[in-house]
Amino acid sequence: MALEDFKIILSLIKQNPVSLTGLVIVAGFIVVGVLAPYILPYPEDAWGEVYHLEKRFLPPSLEHPFGTDDMGRDVFSRVLLGARFSLIIAVGVVGLALLIGVPMGLIAGYLGGRVGTILMRITDMFLAFPPLLLAIALAATLGRGLVNTIIALAISWWPWYARLVYVQVNSIKSLPYVDAAKIIGLSPLAIMFKHVLPNALTPVTVQAALDMGSAILEAAGLSFLGVGVKPPTPEWGLLVTEGWSSINVAWWISLFPGLAILVTVLGFNLLADALREASDPRLRRILLISGRV
Amino acid sequence: MPVSKEYIIKRLLLLVLVVFGVLIITFVITRIIPAHPELLWAGSHPTEEQLEKARRQLHLDKPIYVQLYYYLTDFIKGNWGVSWRTKHPVLKDIATALPATLELVIVAFIMAIIIGVPLGALAALKRETWVDHVVRVVSVLGASVPVFWLALILQLVLSSWLGLLPGAKRVDEYVVIETGFKPITGFILFDSLIQGNFAVFTNALKHIILPAFVLSMYPFGLSARMTRAVMSEVLNEQHTRSALAWGLPKRVVIYKYALKNALAPVIASLGLSFGYTIIGAFMVELVFVWPGLGLYAAMALLSYDYPAVIGCVIVVALIYTVINMIVDIVHSMIDPRVKL
Repeated sequence: MALEDFKIILSLIKQNPVSLTGLVIVAGFIVVGVLAPYILPYPEDAWGEVYHLEKRFLPPSLEHPFGTDDMGRDVFSRVLLGARFSLIIAVGVVGLALLIGVPMGLIAGYLGGRVGTILMRITDMFLAFPPLLLAIALAATLGRGLVNTIIALAISWWPWYARLVYVQVNSIKSLPYVDAAKIIGLSPLAIMFKHVLPNALTPVTVQAALDMGSAILEAAGLSFLGVGVKPPTPEWGLLVTEGWSSINVAWWISLFPGLAILVTVLGFNLLADALREASDPRLRRILLISGRV
Repeated sequence: MPVSKEYIIKRLLLLVLVVFGVLIITFVITRIIPAHPELLWAGSHPTEEQLEKARRQLHLDKPIYVQLYYYLTDFIKGNWGVSWRTKHPVLKDIATALPATLELVIVAFIMAIIIGVPLGALAALKRETWVDHVVRVVSVLGASVPVFWLALILQLVLSSWLGLLPGAKRVDEYVVIETGFKPITGFILFDSLIQGNFAVFTNALKHIILPAFVLSMYPFGLSARMTRAVMSEVLNEQHTRSALAWGLPKRVVIYKYALKNALAPVIASLGLSFGYTIIGAFMVELVFVWPGLGLYAAMALLSYDYPAVIGCVIVVALIYTVINMIVDIVHSMIDPRVKL
């Protein structure tokens, strides 16, 4: 995607109020995620190292906009800091998945032949698992923790990018400029990384950026199933789960972190939807049906 | 419409390959990645004897390829290990739990189609109006909401606070005992209906509404978006436009031509969303204490019942693979253009 396309898409997003909402949400999430540790009203509560007996289960008020939890911690601070952890998870998962998936797809697509077939069969084996299932198995094996959560999700995630890059590379490698590069005697590695990869990378990075919403959602699911991050990390899914046991006395503990997930993921998905609309709908549909997206 | 025999054979061969792949990956995850696999299989706080037993059962003293051989043959023989939590063989537990989950997922899918397809069609007809925008946001919401959170909130509001619907279990015990209901297939709605036991049927129906609704969010969003995309494309095509130009009523064109064309992709998309939905069931069943595979898997995860976890992972992957195959075959029946 060239700068031109980017401008076109941006103007399309601006025209549509729904897409614009998505853009604003995502921008807001990133800002909060980056600034979170510096704008916490109750920093100690957010990191979870304290226990205020006298402030347990306070309903939402001006002082505590999202109320307090079973340990008397300010839920608002915890949700704010949760944005930071969600951002780390999202970037980590998608980044690691790209790091595995892109070379896989590139090598399989460019070399083709037997090596390509084997690599893509391995990819297909991973794709035989429904989303999140493989991550659950891995997380159960590796144990809880932020890094393990990222690894578990990324390993179930990379095959999608391998596929996407594979398809891209396949259409690029027969273009005349690649032939030209071969004729002047460039090594396959140089052609792959210098001439094919840059042209195959844009669609997959755009896709990856928008997948960050799903990464946040799945990490939250892992937390809920007890194989995600460790307490007292204020990850949103874990915050919802921690509020579960006292939901009948203090609904706010679970409600607000869940809303944070919902709004953030919605933002990413609305933006993704806008891009899908902007690109060729027929192509997208075929990709969607064949399970390549 | 006929589907060639070769196509089905090819698809079945592919199925065998995929199942093999699934087993290889689970083998790597359970035996090669952990430094001490026996620690995972021997339950929490194992004794030295239990560890030794687990080592022997897993054949950890033998080379990897021998371990793999035993792993594959045990899988085929149905020796999937014993659950630490229930003390039953994992495969037996799974067989008992599966109907409840399938019933839940089927009802969720029916809900998703009933709500999603008309909404998507409406959005296509009113493209770029506020109706379209609202449908779009609602359908994207379906893919954005954390299901476990929605389950918790709806259970709290509709069940605990308002008392409108039951918030746990499949059916009330007292109704089952009073009417002497005996399940046959394990699908309570189906069993009670064919036995003419309407007390159990309505009771079970009330129980399934909330969890099924929560689970339907994702397939609902997908079917609405799919219907919208295909419908707006079909409505622009020559054959629908000429049908309109010939003076056929718009209603007929929409139902007979446009919606029919939208069917195949909607089915395909729902088939794909099956995997997502069944994982959602892990969480939704945990919240609603729904005694299915999801609750079993979730409880296994929470109690470090590793053999049960891996059994569920394999079963779900297998079901997902088979469903995908069926969807592909059905899809190729509806739409002859689809080839392997």
